[in-house]
Amino acid sequence: MTDGQRSPTSDGQIVVSGLTKQYKNVRAVNNLSFTVAPGRVTGFLGPNGAGKTTTLRMLLNLVTPTAGTATISGQRYADLADPLRHVGAILEASSAHKGRTGINHLRVICAAAGLPRQRADEALELVGLTPAARRKFKGYSLGMKQRLGIAAAMLGDPRVLILDEPANGLDPEGIRWMRGFLKNLAHEGRTVLVSSHLLSEMQLLADDVVIIAAGQLVRQGPVEQVLGSMAQGAQVRVRTPQAEALTAALKAQSATVDTDENGVLLVGGVDAPTIGRAALAAGVELHELTTERPDLERVFLELTAGKAGIR
Amino acid sequence: MKLVRSELLKIRTTNTWWIFALISLPLWALTLLINWLQADALTSNNMGELSAEQAAQFEAAASPDALSSNLFTTGQFFGLLIVMLLGIIVVTSEFFHQTVTTTFLTTPHRTAVMSAKLVAAGVLALLFWLVTTAFNLVAGSAVLNAVGVGSQLGNDAAWRAIGLNLLAYLLWAVFGVGIGVLIRSQIGATVTGILLYLGGSIGAIFVIAVLADRWGDWINNLQLLVPSLASSLMVTGADIPGNPPRWAGAAVLIGYAVVTGVVGTLLMRRRDIS
Repeated sequence: MTDGQRSPTSDGQIVVSGLTKQYKNVRAVNNLSFTVAPGRVTGFLGPNGAGKTTTLRMLLNLVTPTAGTATISGQRYADLADPLRHVGAILEASSAHKGRTGINHLRVICAAAGLPRQRADEALELVGLTPAARRKFKGYSLGMKQRLGIAAAMLGDPRVLILDEPANGLDPEGIRWMRGFLKNLAHEGRTVLVSSHLLSEMQLLADDVVIIAAGQLVRQGPVEQVLGSMAQGAQVRVRTPQAEALTAALKAQSATVDTDENGVLLVGGVDAPTIGRAALAAGVELHELTTERPDLERVFLELTAGKAGIR
Repeated sequence: MKLVRSELLKIRTTNTWWIFALISLPLWALTLLINWLQADALTSNNMGELSAEQAAQFEAAASPDALSSNLFTTGQFFGLLIVMLLGIIVVTSEFFHQTVTTTFLTTPHRTAVMSAKLVAAGVLALLFWLVTTAFNLVAGSAVLNAVGVGSQLGNDAAWRAIGLNLLAYLLWAVFGVGIGVLIRSQIGATVTGILLYLGGSIGAIFVIAVLADRWGDWINNLQLLVPSLASSLMVTGADIPGNPPRWAGAAVLIGYAVVTGVVGTLLMRRRDIS
């Protein structure tokens, strides 16, 4: 077993192609195809029950696909020579024996993967869990359990990280830490695939998104592009003491104008510079002029509308 | 090999093994007491009137071979139960604590994982046998001396019984792993295992006795098919008249162990882990 040696083909790309999983009465994943690029954080989004977890488990050889393939660096997970040195995965927070200490949990994995024992200590250090190393897992808080999961995933210093809902149960401090940690990993050139239903978090974290609903692909691409594709929803918030005069001036430019409960104008159909010029021409005083970009949450809800829920 | 080390580390880093060892100790002491009383009774020759067949059985059971075999395998009845439960836990704790995902991520080759679990359960069984046998050699020869048969430490039949006892320990550990795969629920598998073992023995003895009364003595040979009876038959020191031969007991046990081990591995290979 050579350490750190990577063959030229180990490019870290994840390719899902025509992946399908048929359970008895439900098609959990239906002909799903997407790719995940190295060096970026990719958010894997979908409503609950959309098939995110099933997809990740098929990618990791835990669930057998009914049809299609999922490869990491061109190989099926089961065919990777040293899976832990190539892929780190966190699928559920509470996945350690309750009576085992954190450090022993990692040592068990090291032993099975043929990794040196001290990797367990290093990984604990990496996630800041060293003070709790000799405490039993049942005494860990949810945040500590998540960190132990990350430590386990990092044991083999993998090229590819796959995380299923890692922010679940984390406090704001933990989420902030996780965000920095994952961004840093992507920055180092690793592939980071993170599933989540926390959209606001994904907007801060992800470079790319893959959105699925009802087991099918809805949209894939860089966050900006996916948001941009929904730009017709963009609105401009305008605050002015002369609302009536401005409304009249804007309507003349065929803009739509709504007023919210605080008297703020919500202008659609024209962009902020146009509104500024119109205000200047009409001699109207402006207190605020803000473009409201559609957020991921709104895009997501629009894209997955009617496809979420129980199937 | 690294997988076996990992499996043994899993066992070592939890409380299970020493809790089971602690449970084993009083149970062993209890069986030692029973075996002592039995040996004492068998050598004191005051059994009263016996039929010819009973007398022959009695004589075989009271022979130094049988006495020493019995004493040097003291604790077998509960020991086998304990190693079976350990075998069950080696598998079911992975599901109970949801560590099976991590295990199969670390090693996607499930056959290798299952083989390592079978070997690790076997190593555990070996250790339990080793410690129990060490205790038995000391306590057993003391009892044998006390009933006036001599320590029998040079008795071939006794050593054969000790060896077969090891085989029984190994096979029951393998059963345990098989049961654990078939019934993933920790509680379900444990209860099933215990019922199969205790209820199986007692129930089968009763049923076979009733059937033999009705249909004739050949039915007695069916006790061979009950795993716990087959294993106690296997370690009986001498062939006792009216009972099936010992090698048959061994063959039946090996058959069960192979079937549960193979079926369990095949099931685990195909199963979706979610």
